[in-house]
Amino acid sequence: MFSATSTVSDPSNAHRRWFAPIVLGFAAVIALSSVVATNAQAAESGKKPTVLRVAISSEIDTLNPFTSVLASGTGIMALQYEALVAYGAKDNSVVPGIASKWVISADGLTWTFTIPEGRVWSDGKPLTANDVAWTFDAVKSNEKLQQANGGLLTNIRDVKATDDQTVTVQLIDAQAPNPGAELPIVPEHVWGKVGTPETFANDKGAVGSGPFVVKTYRQGQSVELVANKHFWRGAPRISGITYVYYKNGDAAVQGLKTGEVDLVRDLEPAQFKALTGQKGITTNAGAGRRYSSININSGAKDATGADLGNGNPALKDLTLRTAIFTAIDNKTLLEKVVQGLGTLGQTEIPPVYPDYFGIDDADVIRFDPAAANTMLDDAGYTLGSDGFRTAKDGKKLTLRLMGRTSNPQHAQMADYIKPWLKDIGINVDVRMQSDNQVNNDSTLGKYDIYFTGFGIGPDPDFQLSINTCGSYPNADGSGSLNENNWCSPGFDALFKQQHTELDPASRATIVKDAFAMIYKASVNNVLFYAQSLEAYRSDRFGDFVKQPATTGVIGGQNGYWGYYSATPVSASADDEGGFPVWGTILIIGAVLAAAAAVVVGRRRKTSDDRE
Amino acid sequence: MPVTLHTDQGQEAPGDERPRGASWPRYVVLKGGGALISLAMVVVLGFFAFRILPGDPAISMTRGRRISADQVEVLRKQFGLDQPMYAQFWHYTVDLFHGDLGTSYTYNKPVIGLIGDRLGPTLLLTGSAALISIVLGLWLGQRAAWRRGSTFDKTQTGLALVFWSVPTFWLGLILLLVFGGWLQWFPTGGMVTPGGNEAGLAHVLDVLRHLALPVVTMVAVVYAQYLMVMRASLLEEMTADYLVTARAKGLREDDVRRKHAVPNALLPTVTLIFLTLGGLIGGAVTVETVFSWPGLGYLTFQALTAPDLPLLQGTFVVFSTLVIIMNFFADLLYRVLDPRLKSP
Repeated sequence: MFSATSTVSDPSNAHRRWFAPIVLGFAAVIALSSVVATNAQAAESGKKPTVLRVAISSEIDTLNPFTSVLASGTGIMALQYEALVAYGAKDNSVVPGIASKWVISADGLTWTFTIPEGRVWSDGKPLTANDVAWTFDAVKSNEKLQQANGGLLTNIRDVKATDDQTVTVQLIDAQAPNPGAELPIVPEHVWGKVGTPETFANDKGAVGSGPFVVKTYRQGQSVELVANKHFWRGAPRISGITYVYYKNGDAAVQGLKTGEVDLVRDLEPAQFKALTGQKGITTNAGAGRRYSSININSGAKDATGADLGNGNPALKDLTLRTAIFTAIDNKTLLEKVVQGLGTLGQTEIPPVYPDYFGIDDADVIRFDPAAANTMLDDAGYTLGSDGFRTAKDGKKLTLRLMGRTSNPQHAQMADYIKPWLKDIGINVDVRMQSDNQVNNDSTLGKYDIYFTGFGIGPDPDFQLSINTCGSYPNADGSGSLNENNWCSPGFDALFKQQHTELDPASRATIVKDAFAMIYKASVNNVLFYAQSLEAYRSDRFGDFVKQPATTGVIGGQNGYWGYYSATPVSASADDEGGFPVWGTILIIGAVLAAAAAVVVGRRRKTSDDRE
Repeated sequence: MPVTLHTDQGQEAPGDERPRGASWPRYVVLKGGGALISLAMVVVLGFFAFRILPGDPAISMTRGRRISADQVEVLRKQFGLDQPMYAQFWHYTVDLFHGDLGTSYTYNKPVIGLIGDRLGPTLLLTGSAALISIVLGLWLGQRAAWRRGSTFDKTQTGLALVFWSVPTFWLGLILLLVFGGWLQWFPTGGMVTPGGNEAGLAHVLDVLRHLALPVVTMVAVVYAQYLMVMRASLLEEMTADYLVTARAKGLREDDVRRKHAVPNALLPTVTLIFLTLGGLIGGAVTVETVFSWPGLGYLTFQALTAPDLPLLQGTFVVFSTLVIIMNFFADLLYRVLDPRLKSP
């Protein structure tokens, strides 16, 4: 019996014998790999860097320019494919892209683009008017290719290549926005051979016309782009760009500090301030393209004109809405919520588009709680003994304030706004919800007030279009999107006027008037335009061209200027941080010594037992 | 054999309603049938659970894009969202039985391929973490129980419970800051060095270097459950009569523990191990997010934002199937290990 028992293999006995060596062995292997990597880093540190490594925080949906809708994907596509025209680095004005010049017919219905001779794709094949016509036709004729940019072609009747160097675009109605902007032009000799272009992954060895083209893509890990030697503005000064996934911002900041990445975007104000002044790192607070606002439901309607949602009817009153905005201190929110890294809000157009930015000083709503109280007193909102006012229907004035759980700034702002509105006798019920819920409820008018925001493109036409009476959604939320659940015939007239006004200065005046109209309707109070916070390894790269010039951003531009201009800087060996090799060797030595001590100790103990 | 020494010792485990003495085929059919019913419920639930999410995927995906209302409708048709719910469910079920989990709205790729790409990294992370935490937990647990009340017991139990209580995200970030950022021993994210073209041993070492911190984080957070169960289980065995017999035979204390007490105490922990293995994959979401690990967890998280219904359904079915299979194995293994459940 005893002998039988003693011969049985015993798992606990086995791991008693092997556990410590396995764990220590694992640690040693990891440490060894660390040494290998540290040595590799040390060897690299003396060389001039050539690949710009950019941290990317969100997943790329696809690298197919016809179906990519997420900013991460479209941003890469903007580096790979040019449109007929581009938005300039200096001030976002329209500049040559694939086309070097364009002429508009007297009736504004025909745009003729000229493509210079000698333009080639990254594979060296000629880039001609046929590629342009093929791309426009492909999107127009295949509805599955309209997912990303279909809306750009709704006013286009026909696109023809009259010869290799000339493309004519026939419009249905005259329009001011350049019809050659934004649609990425793809090579016919590649895409024409693809059976189903809508499912073409386009994620390795891509052929493009922009400064960089995709070489490889590891989904969820990295995208490697290489420089296009044939780029018509001249080959980039770096050999490529590698996008590296960082699923949380703090890790990306650490990656920048250790030199694993060279550029990080979308930093939080606290991260940005912590990186400012660090050796080898330069921070850039670029003027942002996005507004952050608080929006009031002034009476949502559906496409048939019927009431939509359940907004508080009291908010149909302009005086009440203006009083609410007068009671909100935008300046404090800018300072406390984004730590002053931004500009105070006015209309929906941010200052990066100076032609369309701004409103008459006399029309600006300024923080003044006393004035807000007077407005409400005069309008008949009586103040009760509990400190809250009564609406005209006799009910206590209580408003729901909706925000996103995914955006911590919303809860922070709500903490300020609730007491401010209490000061003017309005009770606020704060509700933070998921992104999907907010999108759903805001489309269907199921809110009183909510936090929102929009990234604004260089041409204001789209932003204005989603405020017209024709953009009201269907009763089930399908159909069009109305940005503010508001419309006005006067606004629609201005929209139409600017849409066909071909003189830039005249158009700018109309556009400003139109945005001022939204402002004065007190439906969307733009709180601030937060700066876009970036940081890069200035000991490795420099000379980034910003958009707009000097005050703008490096990444997230309307174009490729920032990354295209990246210039390597010589790195000195001591700039590479990292744990020293001798330190790692010391640790391996210590680990092995500990292993030996454990084993020797065990043997001695066992032999003692035997005795 | 040590396990046969005390077959007649057996006390019925509380709540154990396994058919005592049922034949193997009957047992497997019963358990397999239960698993299949669970699977069928998962298939149904996987479809309807995500339909509760607010928002239309076609609208939310194209929000802010220059796309007309008609084009959004085309997209809805393409996704099959224009069809009645029962028709959508029918297509989903038929496709599922053909091994087709649909096409992701966001990535425009077959869901099965997307999951396949991410399953490997997730299994590497969770598998390594599970293996280490099980070995570590069980080893420390039996040591702690045997020396109940000792400093070793108190410190190990205390330490394990502290790690167990610490939020995973916080622990991961601290490890990342110290070992990734400050000491720079390990990379700050990912599974391989981007742009690197290592192969063979260099590639393995590169993956190991990236794997170290996420695994340590997962192990630290989960090993306590194995430690505590092993400890409790062994403590129960320590008063058993067969140990007195073993000692009476003159066995050394270490042998009594290793060869008699531990094998019996291991029994209840086997079920726990298999139950937690399935759950670990889902639990990797946080660790994958902190360390930018290219696994399934983050894919699921991203899918929720659209909502990318086929991808959510796919990951839900895969996660749940893994848990059900693990439970089924646990049932089978339990029967193999526990002689009380064998036919007389």
